[in-house]
Amino acid sequence: MKKMIIAALLSSLAAAGASAETVVIVSQKNPATRMFSEQASQFFLGKSNLFTPVDQAEGSHIRADFYQKVADKDPAQVKALWSKLVFTGKATPPKEYPNNAEVKKAVAADPKAIGYIDKSAVDDTVKVILTLP
Amino acid sequence: MKKKLLVAAIFAATAAMQAQAATLGDENLSISGFGTLGVAKSNTDQAQFARYNQAEGVADKAKIGLDTNLGLQATYKINDWLSGTAQILTRKNTSPTFTTDLTWAFLKARVNDEVSVRVGRVVLPTFLISDYQNVGYANTMMRPPIEMYGQAPIENVDGADINFQRAFGDFNFTTQAFVGVSRGKLFVPTGSGSVATYRAPAAGISFTGEYGPFVVRLGHARADLKINDLAPINGLTAQLSQFGFKQLANDIGLTDGKKIAFTSIGATMDWHNIVVQTEYAQRRAKEAVYIPDTNAWYTMVGYRVGKVLPYYAHASYRDAGSSVTPPASLPRNNQLGAAVYGLLPSPEQTSDLIGVRWDFAKSVALKVQADRVKPKTKAGSLIFVKPGFSGNVTVVAAALDFVF
Repeated sequence: MKKMIIAALLSSLAAAGASAETVVIVSQKNPATRMFSEQASQFFLGKSNLFTPVDQAEGSHIRADFYQKVADKDPAQVKALWSKLVFTGKATPPKEYPNNAEVKKAVAADPKAIGYIDKSAVDDTVKVILTLP
Repeated sequence: MKKKLLVAAIFAATAAMQAQAATLGDENLSISGFGTLGVAKSNTDQAQFARYNQAEGVADKAKIGLDTNLGLQATYKINDWLSGTAQILTRKNTSPTFTTDLTWAFLKARVNDEVSVRVGRVVLPTFLISDYQNVGYANTMMRPPIEMYGQAPIENVDGADINFQRAFGDFNFTTQAFVGVSRGKLFVPTGSGSVATYRAPAAGISFTGEYGPFVVRLGHARADLKINDLAPINGLTAQLSQFGFKQLANDIGLTDGKKIAFTSIGATMDWHNIVVQTEYAQRRAKEAVYIPDTNAWYTMVGYRVGKVLPYYAHASYRDAGSSVTPPASLPRNNQLGAAVYGLLPSPEQTSDLIGVRWDFAKSVALKVQADRVKPKTKAGSLIFVKPGFSGNVTVVAAALDFVF
């Protein structure tokens, strides 16, 4: 009985862990197959225009978590960084979408787009190129 | 009363812009803004501490004019490769009241993923933070160190710039070149103060290398500065001409346009909560002119503890010689000679400042900063200095920086 409880606990922990996993996605038409997190952060911090970043909603948990993991920056630091680029006319911040499904739709529709969603929301309209721990 | 009205106006404008941005609902139009609501005072009524080119500084009475500003920006995406951007900025600059200027307005064409060209009124990026020096939220310190940023008064040019950006693995290389003509006003704090109008064809180039949290930038800019109505200098050169010192008058004055070069190297680091920003710059006259050569530098170090970032900075500028050599026939001790020999050396000043930035809410940061300003010669960058005053000045300030 105890073992069963422990097993159940462990699997639920694993499930919780799995559900918190964020993946970086591109369109199926995008030739990229793999990416390092440093590379992904370049697009989301306005350092490269090769891909078009698609962001989750401001203030969302997944967004804060994503920037922390790929760039080691909290939302205020990311905002300050973007305000440099925006108010010098160098770049416009990534377009925001309210949830995983909308991000996925936007990424699937644009061969240059790059986004991030909860792993559980992935389907065959998009391609996973990076899994964040 | 005026202050309260202004504060209310800023908040109203902020709210209105947000509401408008929300209701416009045009996917291609984005409206954003930034601002600072700040209050500052110093410990003396014997001199005023101002930002560069401000007609009014702070003394021992608290004032909001030193740091308060409001910027509004609209960008319209015409198509995949073409967009238009305009930005207006309200602040206290060369006039003692708040005024609004068009800081930039340009069409930007994305040639490809690495190259873009902008045509219109664009930034003149002399130094490391020149292009976002008015955006408090994007900066750690409350204001750019006047010791360095006071060396180059020009903020924008009507012309064009080109940006090239390429990634080599994790290393990012950017270069930006610009050319154009800058026109604007300069505040001359001599006597009771006056405003001069300048015209300056300018060009420059900068190279930026970025590797993770490390950024290094090298910049060079040249301007051919021409001012016809620089009252105190014109008064002196008229007198010099009258007494037969025509060549010296031509050497000193700006009515014919004089070439001045700015070279700077700057670096920033944001690594393991250690934040560093440092820069060294030289201003050099390329033709004889009264404006002295200077060397300026500053270093800021901070350590981020969660949402709180305490920082310390030291800044300095020094005389690096004059491009004007008065003839031996000009006596040093008469009124005219004393005026010339008194004019040519650069003021010198150092500052130590401590401050803290607190990102206490979304898109809003609170800053508190204390500057200890130490003029070394000619009262440094202080303005309206009372005769006989030569002490140090302490300036304390608090500000809310926001973006929307």
